[in-house]
Amino acid sequence: MWYKRTIPLILVFAIGVAAFVQEFVPAPWAGRFRENITLWFQIIGSFALFIGLYSLLHMHWTRIRRQTPGWAYSIFVFLAAGGMIAVGLYNEGKGPIIDVAQGTRTWLDRGYDYLIKPCTATIYSSMAFFMASAAFRTFRARNTAAVLMLVAALVVMFGRVPVSEVLGGWLGDPEMFSRITDVLMKYPNLAAKRAIMMGISLGAIAQSLRILLGVERSYMGGGD
Amino acid sequence: MEPQAQTTESPMRRTVEAAVMIALGTAFVVASILCQKDSLFGKNANDRIEAVGIIIAAALTLIMYSFLYRDNPLFKIAENVYIGAQLGYGAINTWRLALRPQIYNPLALAPSNQALWDALVFRSVPILLGVLLLTRLSRKHGWLSRYSYSMMVGWGAGMTILVMTDTNILQQLQAAAKPIQAGVTADAGWWANAGAVTGALTVLVGTVCVLFYFFFSIPHGPVGQRVSKTGIWFLMLSFGASFGYTAMARISLVIGRMRFLLFEWLKIPQ
Amino acid sequence: MPANDTQGLIRTRRIIYLLVAAAIIVPYVIQMPIPSFHAQEEAHKVYDRVESLPAGSRVLIAMEFDPNCEAELRPMAEGILRHCFARKLVPILVTTNYIAPALISDICQKIAKETGTVSGKDWVFLGYRPGMANVVITMGESIQRTFETDNFSQTTRDMPALAGVNSLKDVSLITVISLGDTVNMWIQYGSDRLKVPLVAGVTAVMAPDLYPYLNTGQVKGILAGLRGAADYELLLHRSDDAAKGMQVQSVAHGLLIALIIGANVRFLFRRAQGKEA
Repeated sequence: MWYKRTIPLILVFAIGVAAFVQEFVPAPWAGRFRENITLWFQIIGSFALFIGLYSLLHMHWTRIRRQTPGWAYSIFVFLAAGGMIAVGLYNEGKGPIIDVAQGTRTWLDRGYDYLIKPCTATIYSSMAFFMASAAFRTFRARNTAAVLMLVAALVVMFGRVPVSEVLGGWLGDPEMFSRITDVLMKYPNLAAKRAIMMGISLGAIAQSLRILLGVERSYMGGGD
Repeated sequence: MEPQAQTTESPMRRTVEAAVMIALGTAFVVASILCQKDSLFGKNANDRIEAVGIIIAAALTLIMYSFLYRDNPLFKIAENVYIGAQLGYGAINTWRLALRPQIYNPLALAPSNQALWDALVFRSVPILLGVLLLTRLSRKHGWLSRYSYSMMVGWGAGMTILVMTDTNILQQLQAAAKPIQAGVTADAGWWANAGAVTGALTVLVGTVCVLFYFFFSIPHGPVGQRVSKTGIWFLMLSFGASFGYTAMARISLVIGRMRFLLFEWLKIPQ
Repeated sequence: MPANDTQGLIRTRRIIYLLVAAAIIVPYVIQMPIPSFHAQEEAHKVYDRVESLPAGSRVLIAMEFDPNCEAELRPMAEGILRHCFARKLVPILVTTNYIAPALISDICQKIAKETGTVSGKDWVFLGYRPGMANVVITMGESIQRTFETDNFSQTTRDMPALAGVNSLKDVSLITVISLGDTVNMWIQYGSDRLKVPLVAGVTAVMAPDLYPYLNTGQVKGILAGLRGAADYELLLHRSDDAAKGMQVQSVAHGLLIALIIGANVRFLFRRAQGKEA
């Protein structure tokens, strides 16, 4: 039906063209338009987060309801989320409308420091172990390309730590390895990264044009 | 993630593992009490709370690392607690730092009727679009959310074309196409100038070769294959550099966790 | 994979994990000395850029990180804030990461306490707004309209820290401390559109991607990972968390290099014997 598909397609094209054109208009109204519409999007964006929240909770609720394997772990999602929301709303007795004085240590802060921080930081840091193991098992000088990659990795790993200056000092120039790393980063790395960046950007522009012209419609979701 | 150990192991091994777990748990409790005793048994209630918090954080850190040995129920509990806590914190922050200042305060705490009217005029459309966004959760009325998505996606696409063209293509092309002698100066020595020219030439050749490698629309002939292979070599050098930096980053994160365990939980003097 | 191979793989992996853990714990426990080092050129550029600003200049600091990468980026953020306060600059902090505010608030309050500076007067933490690039675009028109109140619910309209600052165009420098590609967002929608110089402090993972921007001058300087933070501490004549991590970083990198070289030497021998392809 036209109001379900055609109007959104017209809207996407019109707003996209407006976004493009306003940037070239030096008049004050263009600035005000830019300011107001992006403020609107910030307000809309606040609602978007709740969709994410609902989707995740819904997924865990479904696991509990259907008692799929490991469903009991999902209870902890609700307990932790409920706990954080409760202490956030309680807000040291001031409720959700008024803020506590600056510098006050709230229970929400403690939840952040002692639940969120250790978990997230540890999960990310675990990758160091996986990486070391994977490098040991798979990083092999099988051909020219692999040798180049291996040498570049070793040069960077050595050249970017202070111990390289100790070895460099014995060889007469403490910053020797740091300089070799700089050459690698500023020339071959720069060339490859620039080409990758241009390739990705061309891809993003092509995708944006597909969206504006209505070829790409996945953002509309399913249904008619 | 790497493949995990098979769980089909002998009962003997399971018993040994359970005994080790109990020993480690006891060691953790003893170490926590010994290292945090000043705060735990001190007179200041806040210090006591913080000490308990540090012990919980240390336990969660070790439980998260236990995944390196094998997936286990304690890890799964910690993982789900983390997901939930982050969700709850995100919801509270969205209220406190987005919805409250942008919607609640201007409408509910407007200082005058005029201010309320202005806020209503300006904010009613985005609030409506925000509410429409929530219809994405309904199968029947989900199509209504397309209006909100269309506006946001359209704006994003238009802006992307603009900024990508300028920042990532035109400015990069301009730098890549700079004359190779641009870095040559009268004050610099012969070697420095030769280095500048070689560097500029390397960047130019590398960029062209990598772009050529990405260009699949025509079959690569013998010359094309050589150019393409040079492009691969540049890419490999770059990937190697990225690997080196990534190793550095991940090690830094372990350093952060170890600093916490050693200096905040175990209170080892620095 | 045969059962023996799987068991061998698991055993090798666990040994490597233990070696990595030991490489990080042992240097701290034995209090290994920190090797002397020089600050890298990119870090010098960041330092010089901040150093060159006249007192009273406003510096926008986008704190685009959360506890994931706190170990790498917090020392950088603290170093830059300390430098700003020492130079009597006025930092304006902001984030578009919804998990970040508590961490950033903690950093601000720690450094404010240390330097005796006051929120709203000597610095301001505007807080978080959803919308990513849209927040940057709105700030390019009006900071006060984007953030009518700061993170601590204080109204921004008559705030001394924002006196004379209407939009992003009025700040002297944008500093982005970022764990992901939000740094690209600030370059594209902030500094390039508004012609404001930008320096970046990023995780080491992101650093190689920024060299094209550094070459064109779209980014004036980079602090890359913990080493970048240590360089900044060195330039500030301090030795804090980042510098204290450098001996550990050296040992851990040494271990990784030894593992990779050892595995390759074994591979080359086996290939020479015809046991590997």
